[in-house]
Amino acid sequence: MPRQLSVPAGVSACAVATTAKEAAFRIDYPLAAARNTRVVALDADAESIVRAAAAEEWGQARFYSTTDPGHELVTMDGDAVDLAGELEDSNTVVMVSTNGQNAEAAATIGAACKVRGIMTAGLVVTPGQLTSEALVALRPHARILLVPAEPDDLTELLRATRA
Amino acid sequence: MLRTEINELLTQTGPGTPMGELFRRYWQPVLLAEELPENDCPPVRAKILSERLIAFRDSEGRYGLMDEFCAHRGVSLWFARNEQGGLRCPYHGWKYDVTGQAIEVPSEPETSNFCANVKLKSYPMVKLGDVLWAYLGDPEKQPPLPEWEFVTVPEGHAFTSKRLQECNWLQALEGGIDSSHVSFLHSGNLDSDPLFKGSKGNQYNKGDLKPFFEVVDYEGGLLIGARRNAEENHYYWRVTPWVLPNFTMVPPRGDHPVHGHFWVPIDDEHCWAYSFDYHPTRHLTDVEVAAMRAGMGVHSENDAAYRPVANKDNDYLMDREAQRRGETFSGIRGIALQDSSIQESMGPIVDRTKERLVATDAGIIKARQKLRKSALALQEGVEPVGNRPQDQKVRSVAIVLPADQAFVEGIGEAMIAKPGVPQTTV
Ligand code: FES
Ligand SMILES: [Fe+2]
Repeated sequence: MPRQLSVPAGVSACAVATTAKEAAFRIDYPLAAARNTRVVALDADAESIVRAAAAEEWGQARFYSTTDPGHELVTMDGDAVDLAGELEDSNTVVMVSTNGQNAEAAATIGAACKVRGIMTAGLVVTPGQLTSEALVALRPHARILLVPAEPDDLTELLRATRA
Repeated sequence: MLRTEINELLTQTGPGTPMGELFRRYWQPVLLAEELPENDCPPVRAKILSERLIAFRDSEGRYGLMDEFCAHRGVSLWFARNEQGGLRCPYHGWKYDVTGQAIEVPSEPETSNFCANVKLKSYPMVKLGDVLWAYLGDPEKQPPLPEWEFVTVPEGHAFTSKRLQECNWLQALEGGIDSSHVSFLHSGNLDSDPLFKGSKGNQYNKGDLKPFFEVVDYEGGLLIGARRNAEENHYYWRVTPWVLPNFTMVPPRGDHPVHGHFWVPIDDEHCWAYSFDYHPTRHLTDVEVAAMRAGMGVHSENDAAYRPVANKDNDYLMDREAQRRGETFSGIRGIALQDSSIQESMGPIVDRTKERLVATDAGIIKARQKLRKSALALQEGVEPVGNRPQDQKVRSVAIVLPADQAFVEGIGEAMIAKPGVPQTTV
């Protein structure tokens, strides 16, 4: 393997490019579109967590609850909407469960996301418990799970991913 | 994405900053033991948490860690003579013991009590394993000595190295938490590195490039489980523990030694990556130690000042041909430099208001949240976790479990370090 030990001289070489001074030249432009996130509560306690999060200001995130079999979602205003329609231009779905109810809905949503190539995340909000019904219900359908999540993990996750 | 204030909160660790105060509740690696190899050896400069310190070992083998600069006129005590029970400043001969206490001020009359009032700020420093540990915080709050398994295994079971990383500590830590980069950045090393190759787990790794993740909140920090498909109805789990604030461990592979890191802030734009390997139940072999010394596995080939030989001044010895051949994914040789090269390229302190995190970054999101909450809670008088022995007796795990089993349940006691008990590994 050729091992060049000489010092690269160019102004774009790592030695220059990675300095704090050079960071000032990183081009500055607004980050494009935030994510199109859908947040779905799977039970009543989850609904109140989702409702609290929904009250904050978001880019394109939308918030729902659902019950089995999950083909229909209910908006925070109480309107029933079609799951397939709501997923249309989404790229991330976050499911929130506290007790494992409506496991069938989790499966429906998970399957719908899978065929559409939508990222799924799950929050298992069962304080103090590392294993729970909620975990069993969500894990096959969430590429990433937070266990046990605290109620404010939802807003934290949404904020961090610019939802 | 993080707000600027939170990025600053998490990345600044100097005295008086919230994160700095949090770090000052923990014993931290400050030097490798090999840096002070014998009594009366030369003193060593040791900067940590934005404090310039001098470390030395006196004639009786006691370790001292104190303010680098002489109380008389501010000369660096790196120039000092280490003689007969203390460090003597070469300028006017003031002499200090390991506690920083001045024990001779030659310009004063023989019977003067002047030197009793001269004391350099000093901190306790102890040797455990291959590492010298320091505690920079309030003496009243000093936690018990560290009980990490890599410093408590019998002699010959462990090897520790360190390397300079020219960026903020959090960037480095986040690499240790982010197990999703392994399938990319380090692909190529699984088969070639003598410290990884040949395990059954590697096949699962390569057979399933899109792992699922579970981030489990536990007492000392987080457990990050990456699951991949194994045989029928089974998952191969790799479980990475993060213990607050800056300890991470890589899951084991086969009977290879297991490894991990401490990411120690030097100042806000530099950190030490302490990298260790150990085996709980056997000596490291000569072949393994030779590979570690040669910079394989998580270690690196360094110069005398512990700066990697491949560094930003030589573009990390980027080898485009090896990159093209797929021998290394990034063109940089060795896991350690693959990590540090890309993390340094982000800049000394990356602007986290500009990042585009995705859901699989949840481990990083959660770790930042826990760090922020711990630092803020400490200001309210709530003592942090991670500095108690029970938090430190932790192991990473690699295991195959039935598909319907929660990994925390499945690994059970396997994540608890117990002397003489083999690691759980695939
Ligand atoms: S793909 Fe992760 S930093 Fe570029
Ligand atoms: Fe890495």
